[in-house]
Amino acid sequence: MANRVAIVAVSQNAGAESKDNFYDQAYRVVKDALDKAGMSREEIHTVVSASSDIFHGGISCANAYYWESSAAFLKPGSRQDGESLFALAYAAMRIMTGKHDTALVVGLCKGSENPENDTCTHMFTDPFYQREVGLNETVAAALQMRLYMERFGVAHEQCAKVAVKNLGNALRNPYAHKKGIYTIDAVLDSKRVIDPLTAMQIAPKSEGIIALVLASENKAKKLTDKPVWLKGYSSSLDTFNFGDRDLLNGQLKNAASRAYKMAGITNPRKEVDLAEITEPYAFQELLWCEDLGFCDPGGGGKLIDSGATQRDGALPVNASGGVLANNPYVSRGLQRAVEAFLQIRGEAGEHQVGKKVKTALAHGTHGFAGQCHAVAILGS
Amino acid sequence: MAKEFKTLLTEIKLPYELAYGATWTRFFEGMKEKKIYGTKCSRCGRILVPARTFCPRCFVDTDEWVEVSPQGTVLTWSYANYRYFGMPMDPPFISALIKLDGADVGFLHIVAGFDLDDFDVVRQTVKTGMRVKAVWEDERKGHIMDIRHFEPL
Amino acid sequence: MGRPVAIIGVGQTKHGRRMDVSYPDLVREAVLRVFEDTGLTPNDIDGVVSGTMPSMMEGVALTHFYFADAMQAVGKPIMKTETCGSTGVSIAHTAFYWVSSGMADIVLAVGHEKMNEGDSQATMTTVCEPFYQRHFVAGAPGAFSMQSRVWMDNFGIPEDKVRDAAAYISKTHHDSAFDNPYAHVKLRVTIDDVKNSKIITYPIRLLDVCPNSDGACAVIFASEEAVRKLGRKKVAWVKGIGFRGEEYYFGDSDKAVWQSAIQAAKEAYDQAGINDPRKDLDVAEVYNPFTFQEMMFYECFGFCGFGEAPDLVLKGTFARGGQLPCDPSGGTLCTNPIGATGLIRVAEAALQVMDKAGDHQIPGSKMALGHAMGGADQFNGVMIVGSEL
Ligand SMILES: [Zn+2]
Repeated sequence: MANRVAIVAVSQNAGAESKDNFYDQAYRVVKDALDKAGMSREEIHTVVSASSDIFHGGISCANAYYWESSAAFLKPGSRQDGESLFALAYAAMRIMTGKHDTALVVGLCKGSENPENDTCTHMFTDPFYQREVGLNETVAAALQMRLYMERFGVAHEQCAKVAVKNLGNALRNPYAHKKGIYTIDAVLDSKRVIDPLTAMQIAPKSEGIIALVLASENKAKKLTDKPVWLKGYSSSLDTFNFGDRDLLNGQLKNAASRAYKMAGITNPRKEVDLAEITEPYAFQELLWCEDLGFCDPGGGGKLIDSGATQRDGALPVNASGGVLANNPYVSRGLQRAVEAFLQIRGEAGEHQVGKKVKTALAHGTHGFAGQCHAVAILGS
Repeated sequence: MAKEFKTLLTEIKLPYELAYGATWTRFFEGMKEKKIYGTKCSRCGRILVPARTFCPRCFVDTDEWVEVSPQGTVLTWSYANYRYFGMPMDPPFISALIKLDGADVGFLHIVAGFDLDDFDVVRQTVKTGMRVKAVWEDERKGHIMDIRHFEPL
Repeated sequence: MGRPVAIIGVGQTKHGRRMDVSYPDLVREAVLRVFEDTGLTPNDIDGVVSGTMPSMMEGVALTHFYFADAMQAVGKPIMKTETCGSTGVSIAHTAFYWVSSGMADIVLAVGHEKMNEGDSQATMTTVCEPFYQRHFVAGAPGAFSMQSRVWMDNFGIPEDKVRDAAAYISKTHHDSAFDNPYAHVKLRVTIDDVKNSKIITYPIRLLDVCPNSDGACAVIFASEEAVRKLGRKKVAWVKGIGFRGEEYYFGDSDKAVWQSAIQAAKEAYDQAGINDPRKDLDVAEVYNPFTFQEMMFYECFGFCGFGEAPDLVLKGTFARGGQLPCDPSGGTLCTNPIGATGLIRVAEAALQVMDKAGDHQIPGSKMALGHAMGGADQFNGVMIVGSEL
């Protein structure tokens, strides 16, 4: 890699509804990130944000609205739509060229103001066919889940365990939206939303404004003693028509293998110390763990049974509570990177894992049953 | 095969509930009392209207509330004579940027109070630099249209 | 700074009212043309950048999903870049950074819009927040006509002269569109036709305004190494890029001495080593959805002094055959599928320096500028391309 890129400071807001407006809320989080980095607005060279338009927020060209809130007045900048990890990668590319020394990455989604998640995701469909038959992200996930359980013999209880683990972890995360101690039965007995998914296996609709300050190697070393490096990144897109896809053989493997290659990782089970995964539906954490190479295909159920992915396990997954605890749709991927950063720095507070974290993985996905995945590898 | 291809006529309507936030709650509450508030940036000294939580240029919190005049000067204007779905009011109407006395930025609103259907009247009446004043609704709801429009002084 | 990057080929749809094709098929038309133009196949592509206007425009959100197959992007890394009207130039910037950073060697950039499927002005109004500005901005023409008036008043330019110059721009661009096989509006108009056309938002009249177009544009960007490996000679090297955004609230900033436009151009000029843009550039594709605004861009981009554009327009300085021809493709005024429009400006600039612009070629073009504007009259993005590395 031409120029190494580090994350030097982060900020995020809480997932529960805030009475603050979008414009002011964005300013407060960005300002906090700058304060933590010890930087003024003038020291930021470029700003890349991530947000989605009108359906996620009621305003078109969303970045026009929050442009100055994200410290971008008369600065070069751009914006990514759909997946906020795209913005992390794009800001890093800007620094890698040497054109910019510092960058601000901002992910924005104020879920509390939006229509239901499924109302928004329904709009990803084509208007002629898949929209009319009611496809949305939850319907897609339910179809994928049944296939997953039936093909690999993964038990419903094993899927529910993900929710038990993540909502339990969230008790230690002050930013988490949903949290609590639940039994597997409580998860399975919660409202049957769309069988086999019950309410507690489905992520909420949360607020999430996330800001990260990035810097080139030289600049990062001046700004902090504990830079966290972006070691690897890739993304991958799947085909559009839902019926054309093999729902259990998606694009995450592609995205992960390219990110691992860039980071020089050959054995993710050994070399990744911690993962923050986007699991808007509980079972997806198991499936994504398989695709990320944390266990064998079909081994996701056994992986959670083994305790390895618990907060005190060998490979903690979603120690923050993950997306089941906090789901700002567009910024959830970037939130995974923020959590990975905090764990590497030992600054995750009460949900800091016991083991030393040198290399952490942040994963984002959006679209039906993972139509698009992005993977970032961060390291000390 | 058909020469003309089919189209689907459809409409999308979605509900949102958007937070005003503290600053704009206070600004719009002021409208109920026929008051137009700005906030002052102590770094650059500009008074921003409508009131802002922070100064976009200095990136610091604004820290002083200032009431500005309901009268001001037209900075620029346009006469809308076309129509589109969801237009906030029926054309013709005049959009204008108005520099309210005491403010440092333009305030966007409409100018009316004379015969808008006669373009010659409009052209004679509306000039950049003209003085205007707010005309308030009798029943005010804490909404931007509590000012019915601005009219020539 | 970073690795050199070149545009090696472009593909455009026939722009216009395209109810003969679905939206994905429209996108595919441009993508197939860029593969035809470059002789590459989807296997050669390391990453895809897609972008459009907000989802309200066609009623489909996150269209990179919808176009995954049309863009031949399945299994590929993807970016989705959107900055409102400046989206097209921002897509080009994303592809440039992707290759320049070393993260990819060959990137496909695709911009698209099918404006006839929705209500563009209603969509544009939702760019403004609903508390305050949305009530007053009469779509894009409303904002731009207010801006034009600020400019006239600020520099004391007589309205009659501006009116004449804007009509001249409209006539000459409409004429140019006949030489561009992909252009949407093909209409012979006279100066009087323009001046007597219906008022849209005074002083802007119907023939001062761009159409609603359906269209897509695809451009392939490659690293220096890839250009050499592929043995390409006629390419357009990216010489400079610039982008700036200013405040969201229309009344907060000066729209006559328009800093986002001035600084975006300056950033690109500094990289490209351009000191006197009117001399150093051979052609410019300026984003001109409204004739009046085109003249403001000439001034902000340093093509002439402030307040001077109308005189020079009437002298033919910026017409084909003039010192710095602007929008020989007919420009945005004749073709505006918004999410594609900025990328079309970059593609047209590239075609000029590759000597592949056909009937609207400006002979001997070596350095060209592409530009787009967006947001609530607040973003400007520029890309400068040249025939030499
Ligand atoms: Zn200030």
